[in-house]
Amino acid sequence: MNSHRKSTPSARFTTYIDFEERPIDVPEETNVDEEKIEPQLLPGEIMIARANNVLKFAPLKANRTGISGTLFVTNFKVSFVTSLPVEAKEREMHSKSLQNRFLGVHDVCLSEVDMVNQFSEDNTKKKRLLYNAQMPPRLSGLQLVLKSLRVINFSFKFTPTGEDIRVAQALLHHAFPTSIDHLFLSCGYPPSSPGIPDFCRAVDWEHELQRTRCPNWRVSKHNEFFNLCASLPTVLVVPRDLLDAQLEQAAQHFQGTRPPVWCWGTPAGAALVRMAQISPSITDKQQENRMMGLVHRCHPMRLQPKIFDLDQILPSLKEIQISYIKLRELHTPDDPTQFWEQDRHYFSRLESSRWLSHISKCLEVAQNAATAILHQNSSVILQDATGCDLSAVISSLVQLLLDPHMRTIRGFHCLIQKEWVALGHPFTKRLGHTRNQLEEQSPVWLLFLDCVYQVSLQHHTALEFTSEYLVALWHAAHCSLHSSFMFNSVNAKYSASDVLQRENPQQPIYLRPVWSWWAEDKSIIENEQNGSDEEPLDSKISAREAFLNVHYIQKLFKSLAISGAVRRISDPLSSAYHTWQHIDCLMGETRQLPYDPSTPIVPLQLDGSLRLDISLSNLRPWLGCFCAWLSEPAMLTLNDSESLLKDSSPASHHWSHIHEMYNTMKDLLSQSLANGAAQ
Amino acid sequence: MFSGVKPDKKSKVKGITQLGSRSSSSSSSHSSNSNTTRSNSSSGSGGSSSSSSSNKGGGRKSHSGSSSGSSSGSGSPPAGTPPHTQMASHESLNSESKSSSLNSKLGHESGGSPSPPKSACSSTSTTSTDHHHTNHQVSHVLTATSKMTVRDGSRTLRPDEPPLVPGEQLEGTAREVTYLCPYVGPKKGTLSVTNYRLIFRSPETDPPFELEVPLGVVSRIEKVGGANTSRGENSYGIEIFCKDIRNLRFAHKQNDSQYSMHLKRDMNISVFRRYRVRHNFAGYGASQTSEENHSRRMVTEKLLHYAFPASHKLPFFAFGYCEQYPENGWSVYEPIAELKRQGLPTESWRITRINEQYELCETYPAVWAVPAAASDNDLRNVAAFRSRGRIPVLSWIHPESQATITRCAQPLVGVSGKRSRDDEAYIQHIMDANAQSHKIFIMDARPSVNAVANKAKGGGYESEDAYQNAEVQFLDIHNIHVMRESLRKLQEVCYPHIDNSHWLSNLEATHWLDHIRCVLSGALRIADKVESHKTSVVVHCSDGWDRTAQLTALSMLMLDGYYRTIPGFAVLLEKEWLSFGHKFAQRVGHGDDRHQDADRSPVFLQFVDCVWQILKQFPHAFQFTEDMLITILDHLYSCLFGTFLYNSERERIEKEVKTKTISLWSLILSNKADFENPLYSSNTKHHVLFPRTSMRHLCLWDKYYCRWNPSMRQQEPVHIRYKELLHVKEQLEKHVDELRKELAARQTHDSPRVASAIV
Repeated sequence: MNSHRKSTPSARFTTYIDFEERPIDVPEETNVDEEKIEPQLLPGEIMIARANNVLKFAPLKANRTGISGTLFVTNFKVSFVTSLPVEAKEREMHSKSLQNRFLGVHDVCLSEVDMVNQFSEDNTKKKRLLYNAQMPPRLSGLQLVLKSLRVINFSFKFTPTGEDIRVAQALLHHAFPTSIDHLFLSCGYPPSSPGIPDFCRAVDWEHELQRTRCPNWRVSKHNEFFNLCASLPTVLVVPRDLLDAQLEQAAQHFQGTRPPVWCWGTPAGAALVRMAQISPSITDKQQENRMMGLVHRCHPMRLQPKIFDLDQILPSLKEIQISYIKLRELHTPDDPTQFWEQDRHYFSRLESSRWLSHISKCLEVAQNAATAILHQNSSVILQDATGCDLSAVISSLVQLLLDPHMRTIRGFHCLIQKEWVALGHPFTKRLGHTRNQLEEQSPVWLLFLDCVYQVSLQHHTALEFTSEYLVALWHAAHCSLHSSFMFNSVNAKYSASDVLQRENPQQPIYLRPVWSWWAEDKSIIENEQNGSDEEPLDSKISAREAFLNVHYIQKLFKSLAISGAVRRISDPLSSAYHTWQHIDCLMGETRQLPYDPSTPIVPLQLDGSLRLDISLSNLRPWLGCFCAWLSEPAMLTLNDSESLLKDSSPASHHWSHIHEMYNTMKDLLSQSLANGAAQ
Repeated sequence: MFSGVKPDKKSKVKGITQLGSRSSSSSSSHSSNSNTTRSNSSSGSGGSSSSSSSNKGGGRKSHSGSSSGSSSGSGSPPAGTPPHTQMASHESLNSESKSSSLNSKLGHESGGSPSPPKSACSSTSTTSTDHHHTNHQVSHVLTATSKMTVRDGSRTLRPDEPPLVPGEQLEGTAREVTYLCPYVGPKKGTLSVTNYRLIFRSPETDPPFELEVPLGVVSRIEKVGGANTSRGENSYGIEIFCKDIRNLRFAHKQNDSQYSMHLKRDMNISVFRRYRVRHNFAGYGASQTSEENHSRRMVTEKLLHYAFPASHKLPFFAFGYCEQYPENGWSVYEPIAELKRQGLPTESWRITRINEQYELCETYPAVWAVPAAASDNDLRNVAAFRSRGRIPVLSWIHPESQATITRCAQPLVGVSGKRSRDDEAYIQHIMDANAQSHKIFIMDARPSVNAVANKAKGGGYESEDAYQNAEVQFLDIHNIHVMRESLRKLQEVCYPHIDNSHWLSNLEATHWLDHIRCVLSGALRIADKVESHKTSVVVHCSDGWDRTAQLTALSMLMLDGYYRTIPGFAVLLEKEWLSFGHKFAQRVGHGDDRHQDADRSPVFLQFVDCVWQILKQFPHAFQFTEDMLITILDHLYSCLFGTFLYNSERERIEKEVKTKTISLWSLILSNKADFENPLYSSNTKHHVLFPRTSMRHLCLWDKYYCRWNPSMRQQEPVHIRYKELLHVKEQLEKHVDELRKELAARQTHDSPRVASAIV
C-alpha cells in the first residue's frame, strides 16, 4: 500500500485505492494548485494546521467511497476543502442548519467535536484520543464523533508524513479548551438584530408581566452587579411584598444563592415560579417556607401554591446523561456490520436507554403543572437542585402547553431566551463545551427539545415551527459562534466577552445570538466572497420552508376562508387583519424575520391546554434528530439511478398550495389598494 | 368451558381511568368497533364527519328517543343509573364471591370514573370535527357493514332492527346482553345475529354504542361459565375470538326470564354441540329444558352456524350478497391484457394456454408466460421436477432491460441430489431471454437451513454446479408457522391493553417487525438485481405460494408504478396472489371452525403490512391510501365478497365465484374517491422505490393492529390535512373572486363611497 503514497503533494489523483483494494469511485479532482487551496476564514480566525490529500469518508459506507481534499484546523473549525461535488445529504443538512452563515458544507465547528478516535494501521481497531494523548508517529486515520451524533472519518493514507500528526494535535488542543473564552466566540461582524428580547433588561420582564397580566409581582433590580446571584440575570421578578433586603437574605439560603423567581403567570393570578433547593449546609427551612408563603400571598385568591420537587419526581441529571450515552452508542455505529447488529435490537435498546421514559416523565409533570395552573388556578413552584436544569425543562413545557404565544416562532425564541439563556441554564457545563467539569455533562437541552418534538407530533397544527427547526437548534447548541447556548449564565457571557475584549483591544467583540439567523439575509462567508453563487437565496427559502410548519399556516388560512373574513382583511380592528399580517410575516419575502420586533404586545389569552398522551407507546423516537446523519448503509449495490424515487418531504405539496393562496390574497389586496387609491 | 377461557386479569385500572380523564382526541374507540374503520377512513372523507357532527347536534333528538324507547321496552334500569351498579346489586343477592370475579372488577373500574363511556363514545365525532368543513362528502364507508348504517339523523332506527345489507337476514336477537368492552367497561344492550354479522347495540349512551362484526372474522367462539355454576357478575356468556386482532366478550343474564327471540325462521335447531355439524338441523328438541340460558344458547348456535358455514356445508354469505355496484370488479384483471401491458409476447417470451384445464398444474392460473425457447413438452418435463408442478413462470419483465422476475416452487432435488436437464435448460432459457446479463439469480426465500431440510422431504434447492451461471441466495424468511406465532404474540402485546413500560421490548420480542424487515429487504434485493444489475431473478420458496407471492408482488410494486395505482394494485393481487394460488381459504380459514388448523397463517396480512411500510416512506407514490389496505384486510375475513374465497383459480372457476358473488374490487372501484390519495403524483409512476428496511425506519402499523385500542393514539394522516387544505384554498378563492368582482363592478360604476367602505 505504501507504494501508493506520494511523498510530495501531487496535483491530482485519478483513482484512490482503499484499504480493501477496491477502487474508489470518486470523480477526478480538477487540476487545482494545492498550495492555493485555503479555507474561508472569518475575521479573527487563524489557520493552525493543514494536511493535504486527506480522504473524507462518508459514514457507514464501509470506508469504501471517499472524497479527497485538504483538511484544515483553525481556531474555529475543522475545514475540509475539496472541489468535488457535495453529497446531497450533506447539502440538505447544511441548508437546514443555523450555522450555514459561517460554516461551509464540509466544515465542523470545533465545539461540536465530542470524541476523536484514531484508527490503527489496519483500520480494524480504533482508540480514543484524549486532549492530552501521546501522539503515535503516524496516524492512518481519524474518526470524529460529533455531538450532533454524526461520525466523520478521515484517512491520512496519502497525506505527507507529519501533516497528519500536526492536524490531530491542533484538533485535540483547540476542540477541548480549558476555558470557555478560548473558544472562537466572535467573528467580528455585528449580528443582525433578531428583535428578540434578551430578558436581561427590566423592560423585557415588565413586558412579560404586562402581557401575562399576572398580578402582585414586581421587577427587582437588586442583582444589578450579579452580587445577589451569579447565575441569574440582573433583573428578577419577585413577589411584590418582598423587599430587596429580604430577597438578599433569602437568597443566601438557597443553592447557588438563587432565590425563587417568577417566570410566567396567568391573568387569574396563578404564577409559575422556579426555585432552587435549600443549600445542603443549611438545616433551617425557615427561609424556604417564607418564600413559599410569599408566593402564596401573591395569589389574588390566596390559593396554596403547588410545589413540584423535580429532584424527586424526575430522573437525575446523571441518569439523563447515562441514557444519552446509550443513545449515542446506538446512533453512531462504526460500520455497517455494527449498524445492522444494533438495528436488529433497536427497539429494546432504545427502551433500555430509558430516554423515552424520561421524556414521558417530563411531559407528565409538565401536564400536571399545566392542569394545576389552568384548572385549579393555583401557582406552581418548580424546585430542583440548582433551579436551572429540570425546572427549565418543565417551566418551558408548561408555557408551551398553556400559552399560544410560546408556540409561535417568536414566542418560542422568547421562551428559550427567558427560561434557558437569561435564567441561566449552565450550557457550558451540561453540553461539555470545555474540558472541565465533564462529569457534570447532561443533555438537558436535548431532553427539552425532544419533549417539544413529541408535542409537535401529537399536535400537528399547534406549533409554528417544525421538528426540523428543533433539530437545527440542537445542532446550533454546539457552534461556538452562537453565543446563546455557550455560557453557564448571562454573567459568564459578560465575563467571557470582557476577557476577549482585553485580549483583542482593537477588535470589537460581537456575541451573536442564535436568533440572528432569521435576520441575516446573506451568509457571512458569501459576504467575503462577494456573494458569488446563486445558491444562497434558494437555500434560504428552502430552510425557511423546512422550519415553518405548513400545517400551522394552513390553520391561519383556514380562519381566513370563513365567509366574510376576506372582506374584513383591511380593517385593522378585525382578527382577519391580524391573521393576514401574521401570514404576511411568515411568507413575505421582504422581511427576514417571521416577526417585526415592533409588533405590539398581545395580551395572553388562555385557550386551554394542549393535551398530551404521555404513555410510552405513544411516544416516538426522534429519528429526525438521532438519525439525522445516519443514513442506512446500502446493503445492495443500489446505484443512484435516475429512475430511483428520492423521498421528498410530504409537505412539499402543501407548500405549493400555500404559496398560491398567499399570492392570490396578495394580488387581491394590492388590487383593492390600487383601487382605493384611484378613487 | 370456563377453564378454556383465559380470564383477562390484566385489565388495568390505570388504562381505564386514563381513558376517562383524556379529552379523548384519540380517534378510534371500542364504542365504534367495526365502525372504527369507517371513522378512520371517512374522517378523511369528511362525509361521516359531517354526519357524525350532525349526530351530535340534530341527531341527538332521535337517539334520545330511541334510547328511552328501548329502555322501557327491555326493562333496563332507569336512566342515570350506571349499569354496573344495577348489576352489582342484582348480583349481590345470589353471590357471595363477586369480588373474585374478573368482571365485577371491570364494573368496579368503570364505576370509579363514570365519564369514560361517554367520552369514549363521543370520541369518534370529536376527532372528526376538525374536518367537517371539508367538502368531499362521501357517504360511502369502508366496511360494507357500516355502509348500511347511514345514521344521518333523518332516520331513527329501532335498536333491534339493524339495517341490513342486501341479502342479509336477521336470524336472532337476544336482549339484555352485556358487552364487556375492555376499554369503556360493560355495556348493556341487544345482540342480534344475522347470516352475515353480529350486531350489538346499547342505547345507554348517546349516540348509542354500536358494534358490528362480520361473522367471517370470527375465529372461534367459547362459552364462558355455566348458568348455575358460575358466580359473579358478567361471568356467564360467550367470548368471540376474532381474526382481526380482538376478542369480544358478551355476558348473558343468568336465569333469564325475559329473553326474547325474534326468529324469522322456525326454531328448528337442535341442541347444538360444537363440531358435530351434521346434527345441526336434526331432531328438534321441543322442550328447551336445558339449564343453560336460552338466549345464550340461541346466540351461540346462530353464531356458530353462520360464522363457520364451510364447516356446516353451507354457502358463504358472499353467495347471497346482492348489492349493486356500478363497477364490475371481476373485469379488473385480464391475464392476457396484463401480459400485453408488460409488452408480451416478445421474441423471447410467449403466452401459453397449456394449463387451460389446470391439468399441468392445478394451483396455477390458466394462462402463463414462459420463455419462447421452451416447448410445451419442455414445460411438462420441468413441471415434473418442480414441487406440485409449479414451474418457473413470468411475473414481471423490465420494460427496458428485459430482465425478468419469474416464480416457481422448489425443485424436487431430494436427498440424492436429483437433477433435471430440462429444468436446467429451462432456467438457462430464462437467463438467455435477457441479453443484458450472463447471470441469473435464484432467490430462495427460505433460510438456508430450511432449504436443506426440505431435501429430506424430496424438495431442496438448485445446486450451483448443476445450474450454470446461476447464483442461489437465501433470503431468510421464516415459514408460515413462525409468522402465525409472531402475530399471536403481537396480538397479546396490542390487545386489549398495552404494557407501556415494556412496549418497545415486547414489540421487539414478537419479531413481527423483524419478519417484515426480512420480507421487505428480500423484495428490495430482487428489485435491486432487476433494476440495477439488469439481471433476471427466479424466486421460490417451498411451494411458491406464500413467501414467493410476497416477494414477487412487493418487488413488482417497487419496480412498476402501475401497481401503485388503485386498479394496478387490484391487478397485482389478482395476479400474484389469487391466480398463482396463494391458499387464501387455508391461510385465513374462511368459514372454518378449526381455529387451530396449522395451515392458517397471516402471510397476506404480512404482505399488506409491507405495502404499508413502503407507502409510509413514499407518501406521494401511491394512488391509494392506507384506508384501502385496511378495507382489503377487513374483507379478506368478512366473506362478503368472493374475491378471497377458495385456494386457487381452478377452485374459483368450479364454484362459479365470478358469476355468483361480487368482487371486492367492485366496492373499491365504485368508491374510488374514498381510497384515493390526494398526495399522489402520477409522475412517480416511472420511478423505482427502494424503501429503507432498517428496523428504526419500520413502524408498527398501529392504525391496523391497535385500532380497537382507544389509548393508542393514532396519527392523523397527512393526506387528510391535504384534503382540508384544498378545501380551504377553494373557499378562499371563492371569496377572493367575489370580492374582485365587486371591486371591478365598483370601478365601472365609480362609486367611491362603497369602495372606501370595503377597502
